Amino acid sequence: MSHSGGADPRMPSASKPYASSPISATDLPADYSGFFAIAFGIVGLMLRYKLCSWLAIICCAQSLANMRNVENDLKQVVMAMTVQFWMCIDCLDCKF
Amino acid sequence: MAKYSSPSYWLLRFYVPRGETLWFYLALVSAISLLGQELARCSALASPDPTHFEGFGEEDALESDSEEFEDGPIEILIPPPTVTQSNFETHHGPPEPSSPEPKPKPSSSSFEYWDEDEFEGLPIDPSPRTENPTENSSSPPEITQQSPSPKTLPSRSFHVEIICVSFLISFIINYFTGKRENENIALAWASCFATKDTIFDKNFSLLGTGDGKDTPLLLKEGQNIFKFYASGRRYCQGLLATMELQSRHDLLSRIYNFVVPCKDEITFEVYMNDENMDHVLFAMARKKLAKVIHKEVRDLQRYAGLLSVPMNRKWVSEELAVMSESREVASDLITEAVLDQVFGEKAFEKFGKGFISFHFSDQHAGSHRKMLVFKFSLPNANNMADMTRLVALVPYYIDLVGRYKLSSQARSKTEAARAKAAQEIYKELQNVRQEAIQRKKAERRKLMEEAEAKLSAEALRKKEEKERARQLKKTMPKVKMTRAH
Repeated sequence: MSHSGGADPRMPSASKPYASSPISATDLPADYSGFFAIAFGIVGLMLRYKLCSWLAIICCAQSLANMRNVENDLKQVVMAMTVQFWMCIDCLDCKF
Repeated sequence: MAKYSSPSYWLLRFYVPRGETLWFYLALVSAISLLGQELARCSALASPDPTHFEGFGEEDALESDSEEFEDGPIEILIPPPTVTQSNFETHHGPPEPSSPEPKPKPSSSSFEYWDEDEFEGLPIDPSPRTENPTENSSSPPEITQQSPSPKTLPSRSFHVEIICVSFLISFIINYFTGKRENENIALAWASCFATKDTIFDKNFSLLGTGDGKDTPLLLKEGQNIFKFYASGRRYCQGLLATMELQSRHDLLSRIYNFVVPCKDEITFEVYMNDENMDHVLFAMARKKLAKVIHKEVRDLQRYAGLLSVPMNRKWVSEELAVMSESREVASDLITEAVLDQVFGEKAFEKFGKGFISFHFSDQHAGSHRKMLVFKFSLPNANNMADMTRLVALVPYYIDLVGRYKLSSQARSKTEAARAKAAQEIYKELQNVRQEAIQRKKAERRKLMEEAEAKLSAEALRKKEEKERARQLKKTMPKVKMTRAH
């Protein structure tokens, strides 16, 4: 369909290399699952609810899975994971 | 013969004096009960700890005649000291209800209070012995929990753990399978449209995000976002195709997408050269979406309106709505070829299923002003060829818009509209600048006033005196003086 007049449309001289537009941290879509992970973790720790701690772990896993720039945010990731881990491990053997 | 030949029989019969049978029976019964207690305790604990027998011995050290118990439970059979056991536990801990064994009074009371010693050597709970057991709130429930059912494991249910761990395992499995599925879809698209001798290879000289020939075609930004870049064509600076697939790697999103269905989308953004795009403002989408786009997109809101179906010519399918600044532009962009191939009534049913929207504008809000934006939905990995006609629209429209020149009438209208908009923007800028200047002036004034107010009272007085002296000088007559020799 609709071939452009027969001439080769390519112009190698006009090619520009890819320049990725830098995305600032505020433009990223909000990380709700990370927020819920921390919220559940704190609630579970303070009220000693096992279910809340497990939900926090699940939310943490989801926010990790949805993360975009793994290389740039590696420090953040490691920090978030260790915080989650220590918040939940204290609570996991408490009474339900 | 055996009966009468055993010496112990005769001894028992004749050499234990009658007067002391009471003592003998007491000793026997207490020994048996002690043994029974020990056996019961051993079966209660998983591992009988010899230290808690020492505890027995330690407690008895407080009383007299307790040396026998340090040797261990077997030597309990020596009769008299058993009676003294009765006191050693009375001052420890809450008393348990009396044990069911029939015992003589003093020794029976001693075996009722057996919780303290039970927990002394316990590996699980090393500190039950407190002066006030109520201070340690966890110990009474633990004592009550452990005394009826000594093994802790079976009484606890692990439902929550089992459910959550199985969910996490399935989450991890789904992460890898979903990731692979998304990659397969992206690779299927690339192999159909971006590899050698495909449509983009024939239209663009540079494919992919790198410089050389070995760089990969697709750029993976997330587990569900893939980008394809192409450059080196007439009329445009480049093309960026963004594939936004369903979040198949995320189990919760996948469950959500079962309930609220979601499509895999691909968005082509073509960056047109400044000299190659005239005042074109055109958008097309399905009817509901068109209304939403018209409200949300700024340049469409400002310049364009929904067009009604013209009478005199063939038009797009009824499911679609067109928005444009001028009818002439819209008519020129919806050519016969396009209608026959994709957007006409018949063709749309067959080939138009994947179409979502077009947006061509030279007043784009964003980094690049002159852009063509095409949005389609992706078919399955196996049916990628279904969207061939839709993808072929991209280079077709690049050429069409790149060569297009408005007629003088249309241009005058569009220019008038844009000039108005530019003036409004300029006025807004002016207002903003003036406000900024006024704010700065007000701030400076405030600073001055504050500085004056800060001057101390003395400084004010000095100032006032100076002022008065100056005034007096002015009023006094001026006396001219000359030097006298």
